[in-house]
Amino acid sequence: MTVDMSVKVGNLELRNPVMTASGTFASGREFAEFVDLSHLGAIVTKGVSLNAWSGNASPRIAETSSGMLNSIGLQNPGVEAFIERDLAYLADVDVPVVVNVSGHSLAEYVALVERLDDHPQVNAFEINISCPNVDAGGMAFGTSCVPAAQITEACRAATMKPLIVKLSPNVTDIVEIALAVEAAGADAVSLINTLLGMAIDADTFKPKLARVVGGLSGPAIKPVALRMVWQVSNAVSVPVIGMGGIMTAEDAVEFMLAGASAVSVGTANFVDPTATMRVADGLSEFCRARGIARVSELTGALNTD
Amino acid sequence: MSCAHDTAEPRRVLEGVSVLSNERVTEGVGLLVLRAPHVASTVRPGQFVHLRIARGRDFVLRRPFSVHRVRGESIEILYQVLGTGTREMSLLEPGAVCDLVGPLGAGWIVPEGLAHALIVTGGLGAAPLGMLAEQLAASGAAVTVAMGAPTAERLVARGLYEDVARVVDVATDDGSAGVHGFVTALSERLLGEHQFDVVYCCGPEAMQRIVAAQAAVAGVACQVSLERLMACGIGACLSCVVSTHSGLKRACVDGPVFNAEEVLWDSSEIPPKH
Ligand SMILES: Cc1cc2nc3c(=O)[nH]c(=O)nc-3n(C[C@H](O)[C@H](O)[C@H](O)COP(=O)(O)OP(=O)(O)OC[C@H]3O[C@@H](n4cnc5c(N)ncnc54)[C@H](O)[C@@H]3O)c2cc1C
Ligand SMILES: Cc1cc2nc3c(=O)[nH]c(=O)nc-3n(C[C@H](O)[C@H](O)[C@H](O)COP(=O)(O)O)c2cc1C
Ligand code: FES
Repeated sequence: MTVDMSVKVGNLELRNPVMTASGTFASGREFAEFVDLSHLGAIVTKGVSLNAWSGNASPRIAETSSGMLNSIGLQNPGVEAFIERDLAYLADVDVPVVVNVSGHSLAEYVALVERLDDHPQVNAFEINISCPNVDAGGMAFGTSCVPAAQITEACRAATMKPLIVKLSPNVTDIVEIALAVEAAGADAVSLINTLLGMAIDADTFKPKLARVVGGLSGPAIKPVALRMVWQVSNAVSVPVIGMGGIMTAEDAVEFMLAGASAVSVGTANFVDPTATMRVADGLSEFCRARGIARVSELTGALNTD
Repeated sequence: MSCAHDTAEPRRVLEGVSVLSNERVTEGVGLLVLRAPHVASTVRPGQFVHLRIARGRDFVLRRPFSVHRVRGESIEILYQVLGTGTREMSLLEPGAVCDLVGPLGAGWIVPEGLAHALIVTGGLGAAPLGMLAEQLAASGAAVTVAMGAPTAERLVARGLYEDVARVVDVATDDGSAGVHGFVTALSERLLGEHQFDVVYCCGPEAMQRIVAAQAAVAGVACQVSLERLMACGIGACLSCVVSTHSGLKRACVDGPVFNAEEVLWDSSEIPPKH
C-alpha cells in the first residue's frame, strides 16, 4: 500500500507534512550532504530581516534537561545577501521555500515582504512575531492581539502568497492571538516558537547565556506545544503547522492528532542531521502499518472519548 | 601558498561507530578509540567530530571533540572529564556503539615549504595537534613543541610529541616537570631563539591570545584553534560565532582553526568554569 503523504497548508501544496523549523536548518545547504532536500515538505529558512543583524553576545546556547536554550538573536546578513546567496542556492533545489521574516517595526516587515514578494523562489512567508531574542520588535508584536493583527494585516496587503504567522507561546492565551491573526488575513498559523527561559551556573553565580534569558526548545517543550496546537486548531479554521520538540515520527503523529496539518522539525536537526528524513519516512511507515491511506487523515483525529 | 582550505573539504557524514577501547590516561583524562572508517580515512589534522555520547531524551546535544590521532580505521579522542557528557563518555565500554558527525571544520593549514614549526599546547590543547605533529614530522619538517599543564601527569600526549619532535620543552604550574610556570614563557624564549615558519597553538583562550601576540612580535604566522559551544556543528545554528576582522565567523565550519591575526580577541569565548 502506498500512502498519500501530500498535505495542503492553505494554497501551499507539500509532498509530505515535514517542514524544517526556522533557524535550525539555515537555508538547507548545510544539510544537503545528509538529506535529499527535495524530499522535504518545505524548507523554512532562517529568519531574515531587511538589514543585517549581528545577533547577541556569546554564549548563545545552553543545554538544559531535555532541551536547549538559545539566544542567537536572529543574526543574518540582511535580505539582499539572502537573495544573492540563499535564494540563488535554492533555485536549483526542487522544494517549496517558506521565508521566515522579522523586523524591528511594522514598516520593516512590510518592506521586507515587498522586497521578496515577486521572487520566484519564495513560495510562502512565515511572519515571525515571536522571537524572544531581540529587544525591539520580535516577540513584542506577538504577545498582544492588536500589534499581531496589525503586522499580519500589513503583510497581507503586501503579498498574495501564502502567509503563515508564527505564534509565541509566551502569552496568557494563545487562542486569542491566533484568532486575531486569522481575522487579519493569515492563511495559516505555525506554533510554537521557543519558550522564554533561563539557565544559571551555580559554580560561578552567572547566567549561562550572555543575554541572560533565551528561548527553550527541544523535547522539554513538547507537552506545552501539543496543548497549544490542540487549543488553537480547535479555535481557528486556517491550517496549523505544529512544532516543538519533534524528534521522532511518533512525535509528529501526536502533533497531527492534536490538529496540525503539517509539522516542523527544529532542534532535532542539531542532534541528528537526518532527522527530517527519519520523521518523514517514519510517518509514512506509521500510516502504512495502520492502513491509513492519506497522512492528512491524522490531522485532528484525536480521540477524546 | 597552498593550504588545506583550498582543496575540497572531505564529505561530512553521520557515521555509526563502535568503541574499541576507552582508557584512563591520567586523573580526569581519557583516551577513547573508536572504529570510524569514514572519518579515519578522510579527516585532516585539526578537524573534529560531533559525538553523540548517549541516547535518550534527557541528553540532547552532541559534543565536539578533535581527532587526536588516526590509526588504520580507528580514530583517537583525548578527552577531559568536565560535565555530564564527558562523565558519560568515561563510562563507555569496548563494544559500545554510538554515532558521530564528521569530519568537521577547517583544520590546520600547512604552508608550502614549511621547514620548522613551533607547536604550543596548554592542557588538553595537546589533543588537536597530535595528528599534525605526526604529519609534519613525516613530511620532513622540523617540529619544536612547547607543552604546558598543571602537573607532570597532565602533560597528556607528551610521548607522542617526544617521538616526532626535535625538541619538547615542558612547563608545569607546580614545577613537577620542566619549567615551573606557564608555557607562554617557553614559547616566548623559543620564538626568540629560533626561526620558525609558523606557530600552531591550542589551549585555554587566554594562553592562545598571549602566544598569538608573541608570534606577531616575532613576525611569525600563527594559527589557533578556538572552542565555542556548538549545537549543530555543521554551520546552521550560529551558536559558535567568533569575532574576526572580517565579521562573525562560525567556529564549526570557518574554524576551529583560525589565523591568529584574523581573530578579535573579545569575550565571546566559553566562560571558565570557576
Ligand atoms: C572544535 C572543538 C574541539 C574540541 N576538542 C576537544 C578535545 O579534543 N578534547 C577535549 O577534552 N575537549 C574538547 N573540546 C571541548 C569539549 O567539547 C567539551 O569539553 C565537552 O563538550 C564538554 O561536555 P560535557 O557534557 O562534559 O560538559 P557540560 O558542561 O555538561 O556540557 C554542557 C554543554 O556545554 C558544552 N561545552 C562545555 N564545555 C565546552 C567546551 N570547552 N567546548 C565546547 N563545548 C563545551 C557541551 O558540549 C554541552 O553542550 C572541543 C571543543 C570544540 C568546540
Ligand atoms: C538555534 C535556534 C534558532 C531559531 N531561529 C528562529 C528564527 O530565526 N525564526 C523563527 O521563527 N524561529 C526560530 N527558532 C524557533 C524554531 O523555529 C522552533 O519554533 C522552536 O525551536 C521549537 O521547535 P523545536 O523544539 O523542534 O526546536 C529557532 C530555534 C532555535 C533552537
Ligand atoms: S555549531 Fe551550529 S553553526 Fe557552528
